[in-house]
Amino acid sequence: MPFIKKNNPTIDSYEHEHSRDLNELAIQLADGNPVIRRGAALNLAQHQDASEILVDRLKQDNDTSVRDAILTTLISLGDSFAVIGLVECLRSEDAALRNEVVDAMKQLPEKVAPIMNSLLVDSNSDVRIFAVNILESLRHLQVETWLDRVIEDDPHINVCATAVDLLGEVSTSTSRAALIHLRSRFPDEPYICFAVNLALKRIGEDKGT
Amino acid sequence: MKKIIISEDDFQKFREFFYRKVGISFENDKRYFVDKRLIERIELTGANDFSDYFIMLRFEASGQELQQLINVMTINETYFFREEYQFKCLVNSILDEITRNKKDTSPIRIWCVPSSSGEEAYSIAIYLLEHWPGMAKWDVEIISSDIDSVMIERAQRGHYSSRSVQYLPATLLTKYFKPSGDGYQICEDLRSSVEFTCVNLMDSVEMRAYRKFDVIFCRNLLIYFDDLSRRLAAETFFDALNPNGFVCLGYSESMSRISSLFRVRKFPEAIVYQKPGVDL
Repeated sequence: MPFIKKNNPTIDSYEHEHSRDLNELAIQLADGNPVIRRGAALNLAQHQDASEILVDRLKQDNDTSVRDAILTTLISLGDSFAVIGLVECLRSEDAALRNEVVDAMKQLPEKVAPIMNSLLVDSNSDVRIFAVNILESLRHLQVETWLDRVIEDDPHINVCATAVDLLGEVSTSTSRAALIHLRSRFPDEPYICFAVNLALKRIGEDKGT
Repeated sequence: MKKIIISEDDFQKFREFFYRKVGISFENDKRYFVDKRLIERIELTGANDFSDYFIMLRFEASGQELQQLINVMTINETYFFREEYQFKCLVNSILDEITRNKKDTSPIRIWCVPSSSGEEAYSIAIYLLEHWPGMAKWDVEIISSDIDSVMIERAQRGHYSSRSVQYLPATLLTKYFKPSGDGYQICEDLRSSVEFTCVNLMDSVEMRAYRKFDVIFCRNLLIYFDDLSRRLAAETFFDALNPNGFVCLGYSESMSRISSLFRVRKFPEAIVYQKPGVDL
């Protein structure tokens, strides 16, 4: 049989070179080789004070696999520097980075919850939309309340449209008044009316009310 | 004998400890399962109560009791040719693509994790021998790993119950197994064709030895992990794979919900995930 067997897997000499020291890892995080940067990013999970270094790198690294490793470690650390850094990246011009950060923030429900109110009233409507995107799969009891507040108060139609889309999936009868109010705020916007009616239908309310 | 009780605080303390060590987080609905096994271990080790046992578990240098505990807490239900459609995908689609892109004649490396009692790794070996013409030309290395050391010993022994082999065609059962006691013994050629190792996927140091694989089978494991552990497992697989290597997950699992590191590949037989080439 052409099956071959080696002894137990062994660690290549290169793999031994990963440092555990914070300063050395910080240097490796800027290495030209993305494999070394990835390794450093993952190893920095052992350092509670590594979030700022990681966020700085996240903002400038073009390699998706390195950014993914940085985000994994930031999720693991989950401290205030990590969360603040992730919020800063929501304002990035890099759409791919923003999407990756939204996905990462979904995995930090307890850390993101305290800042969600401020994200949802951010002066930048794009950031408010990303905040709603985070709510899409944030496992938190307040998701519906936050979305209700968005459709009650947010002046931007795209933010409201994103929120009502999501309410179509997660709303209960408690959202009824907010949904009806939204429809009355944008009576000439067919999409909003359609999405509100759909959400009301899903929660078993009369769409004509 | 003193009745041992696991309090809510004990359960929470144990849950956090086990999660940090192994990546598996037990929800409250698993309380009965966890309590029962914890009490068994407390009694078997002669500890007075949970606190006594927990101190020993945390500070025992050899880690032997932790390994025993992992062995009883993990689930090891599997059988030969389970989710066979992926093996069809392996021999009909994946391996041909890998060999087409290979720049040398080095062996094709396949990693099965978790190994459980070895059925999956041996199923792959049988499938390759029976259905992949490339075996005439290529060497193949199969490594099968599990966190449970008892399962690894069982896999190395290669003795299986009738239930375990029930989905194997009779011809293959006759060809590769011999009746033995109340079950079947896998043939020596197959038994020696797979390397079995004991590993913890969450241990980044241990994982550095697992590199340069072409295909990883990781089926029905990630469903037991929480979001962060799944993400860490995805990072491990990414580093373990060669560029353009493949990950095969269980029927109900999706890498797309875990990580954006891999691209989805739809083959006629199955959906699998592929590590991008040089440029991601």
